[in-house]
Amino acid sequence: MITPRHLLLLSAASFGLILQPARADEKPFRQMIDQEIKAAWQRENVKPAPRSSDAEFLRRIHLDLVGTIPTHDEARQFLQDTDEQKRAKLIDRLLEDPRFAQQQASVWDLAIFGRQPPGGEVTRRRDVFQKWLQEKFAKNEPYDVWVKEVLNAEGNTSEVGPAMFYAQFRNQPEEAAMAVSRIFLGTQLQCARCHDHPFDKWQQLDFYGMAGFFARLVFVEGGNANQRSMLIGEKRTGEVMFSGPVTEQVPGKKGTPVQAKFLGSTPLEEPALPAGFKDVEVKGAKTFPKPDFSRKEKLAEWVVAPENPYFAKAVANRVWAQFMGRGVVHLVDNLSDKNPPSHPELFEALSKELKARKYDLKWYIRELVNSETYQLSGRGESTDAAPRWFERARVRPLTAEEILAALRLATGYDQGVKPGEKLPNAGNEYFMRYFGEPLNGRGDFQASLNEHLFLNNSSNLRQMIQAKKGNLADTLATSKEPAEERVERLFLTVLSRLPRAEEKERFAAHLTTAGQKPEALVEEAVWALLNSAEFRFNH
Amino acid sequence: MNPLCPVREHVSRRAFLKASLSVGGAAVANWGGLFNSASLAAEAKKQGMRCILMWMNGGASQIDTFDMKPGRPTGGPFRPISSKVAGTQVCEYLPKLAQQTDKLAIIRSMVTSEPDHPGGITSMHIGYRPEVSIAHPELGAVIAKYHGKPDSDLPTFIRMGPAGNGGPGFLGPEYQPFSIGRDGRLPPFSDAYATAESEKRRSDLLKLVEDGFTQENKADPYGAHRLAKEKAWRLLKSKGIFDVTKDWPKAKERYGDSEFGRGCFLARKLVEADVPFVEVGHDNYDSHADNFVCHKANMNQLDPAWSSLLIDLQERGLLEKTLVVWMGEVGRTPYINNRAGRDHYIRAWTIVLAGAGVKGGLTYGETDIDGKTVKDKPVTEGDLFATIYSALGISPRTKHMVGTRPITVAPERSVAVADILS
Repeated sequence: MITPRHLLLLSAASFGLILQPARADEKPFRQMIDQEIKAAWQRENVKPAPRSSDAEFLRRIHLDLVGTIPTHDEARQFLQDTDEQKRAKLIDRLLEDPRFAQQQASVWDLAIFGRQPPGGEVTRRRDVFQKWLQEKFAKNEPYDVWVKEVLNAEGNTSEVGPAMFYAQFRNQPEEAAMAVSRIFLGTQLQCARCHDHPFDKWQQLDFYGMAGFFARLVFVEGGNANQRSMLIGEKRTGEVMFSGPVTEQVPGKKGTPVQAKFLGSTPLEEPALPAGFKDVEVKGAKTFPKPDFSRKEKLAEWVVAPENPYFAKAVANRVWAQFMGRGVVHLVDNLSDKNPPSHPELFEALSKELKARKYDLKWYIRELVNSETYQLSGRGESTDAAPRWFERARVRPLTAEEILAALRLATGYDQGVKPGEKLPNAGNEYFMRYFGEPLNGRGDFQASLNEHLFLNNSSNLRQMIQAKKGNLADTLATSKEPAEERVERLFLTVLSRLPRAEEKERFAAHLTTAGQKPEALVEEAVWALLNSAEFRFNH
Repeated sequence: MNPLCPVREHVSRRAFLKASLSVGGAAVANWGGLFNSASLAAEAKKQGMRCILMWMNGGASQIDTFDMKPGRPTGGPFRPISSKVAGTQVCEYLPKLAQQTDKLAIIRSMVTSEPDHPGGITSMHIGYRPEVSIAHPELGAVIAKYHGKPDSDLPTFIRMGPAGNGGPGFLGPEYQPFSIGRDGRLPPFSDAYATAESEKRRSDLLKLVEDGFTQENKADPYGAHRLAKEKAWRLLKSKGIFDVTKDWPKAKERYGDSEFGRGCFLARKLVEADVPFVEVGHDNYDSHADNFVCHKANMNQLDPAWSSLLIDLQERGLLEKTLVVWMGEVGRTPYINNRAGRDHYIRAWTIVLAGAGVKGGLTYGETDIDGKTVKDKPVTEGDLFATIYSALGISPRTKHMVGTRPITVAPERSVAVADILS
């Protein structure tokens, strides 16, 4: 069935492009997803988890779409709601929430820069870039359009959002080639830097051919002590030099220039230099004129072109993994003949449809999270964080940003901050240090002792859980409600679910322990929930 | 599953997990740790090995310690003395250590690649030249991974004083160094604000919630999370071990009354308590000026600390399980500059190993008459790390997947120095 909303979307998406005609019997895309996933369960003889409970779904969808947990009132309301369409309605509402754009920008910012981006002071604070990207998601600008803008970026990082991308790669065209291939084309080139790739088809000349597109970028550092910045421009001359396998290098060996070449495709055709051409002076430049022929512009065009064999697949797979826990090709940045998809037909369909929808990520995300696959329970026997056959919901640690947002919201830390006011610092740098990199190089969760020392003993967490006028602990400590009701409030606020019978009994008994101050008991109870795996993970 | 990943690691991990889960409630407390380490320990050929790294920050002079050139223009003012091993001479300011040379393997033919401090500190902790695109783990992280005891209350990678700068790299935060102060002071947030009763009340509540949740939710990360929480609690219980104020007055008579001596004493106590890796830093070796003043003062601290450590380890039967490494990031120039200093030198320098089955009483490699070049059997940092890992029962070819790329713990073409391994 096609819903009216769906038709609306179709007509909006088909504006200006030729789409296959929408037929009345055409299934929503989400059903196609579920069909493919179920077919694999049958083939592989895998038993799926049941549908998620409302509480599981509620917490998961909030974290995934808006980067934090629901409030107590939102949780209670959703759990009591008897509308059969309440999940789809909640999804629609959250997709229009301003925090949606913020959360997606945060996910992509992390994918593009990581926690320790090269570029020193310049790339450490990326407010301008992040704001720029948020606007893209707020407008739902097609993915290919904003990626092209990133790859074409030039100007000053303090003014031009996307310019920050290249600021990571000052005078390192090789690093830029690896990053562009990995992030936007899902392709691992780095082995081919030093030798022909041992497991893949890439050769050193593929690598240096890609690097050639970035060889002419120029960088001028500027800014003030408060915020360093980088001016990005492009010259008309300059080549990457190639001198063979790294094992055959000897001191003093000079390379030969390599022609810029599109990955797995043709060399770049370049017009000859105008007679008597003199390139721009980099040192001390305030602006750079656009060269009459720009290599990065050609690359940007090629990356997002419909014929590009990697671009649509890479983004379809990456966003799939963002919500489903692992790519249909896993790892997401390793599309390769040697690393086939777990669900080949699904894999084809995802990128084909996303491309047909003009890279409308909001449409795509809506389909993913409305699928039965996404809405499976996290309960079940499988011990993998993200099971290969998607037979159970994935488990992922909250990011540092999500932890902090969820803690602030759950504990009522920002009570009294007026809308639009800047939130007080809650020890953000500690949260970055202890929660910033929860995964190892393989994407597995790595528990850290320091994280728990911080949770157990720091005043940073304690100031959130101690009673302070209007916050959660204060509300619970001063409430006249019976203990059982206060326990319900506590669980709905922190874990977005009602307590189990045993929990209700034990926590109620705890809150009324004789001879102890209510504030101290409440603090302990809040601490216990915040330290649970249930709070630490998105499940 | 990524086809590049060794299947073995996935399968054995999973199988182990199932086995331990079926044991029931009692085992659950530890299962995260068991799967992290038991299958890994099986990969290491020897079990329960430990390593103490004495880090000579700034770079100690080989010619003024273990590769003396008396009478040569490069020789400097110090005199060599005979040692317990015939033919092996050491500096006159290492008299106590001279009685322990039967335990030492002195490598006089180090040829390394990073001539300056940050790069040298990194490369001499990771065994590789520093690379932009790969964060190699430090020695301590690798040893923590393969020899960490899952049921120990203590951290597995401990360091104090000036030390490495590489961290766990791609092995991830589980193998982060646990840095304590030079005086054994614990890191931030190691002091509980909660009273014992309060801690018990809140942890009982937490356990109730965790038990309820993990009855139905079985994913691996939950166990790892719980294990780390328990480690944090256990550390508080066991943190007394870091406090040596009671034993120190007596011990300092032998280890010497210095921060470094105290660090070595604490290191001994920690390896006794099954901590697999401890790094103790010793500062002030970067003697671009007044090299001889610096080195004399340093050796006065080094000599009692190092020799007492070796004696104590042997008396406790721990020396055969514990590798004691003496090194820094660079050696120092044979020539003496016009400020009576020696500068950085990486073409011919010395490091010393002892314990863990390393053959004592020998010297390996040789420099020329002035100590300017290696005449024989050069050893790179990669070779050294291959040797260290081999001594500890970890194959230098042990691979880790970094994204899609397999990385060996010691560089691909490195070769362990077989002559000093038993």
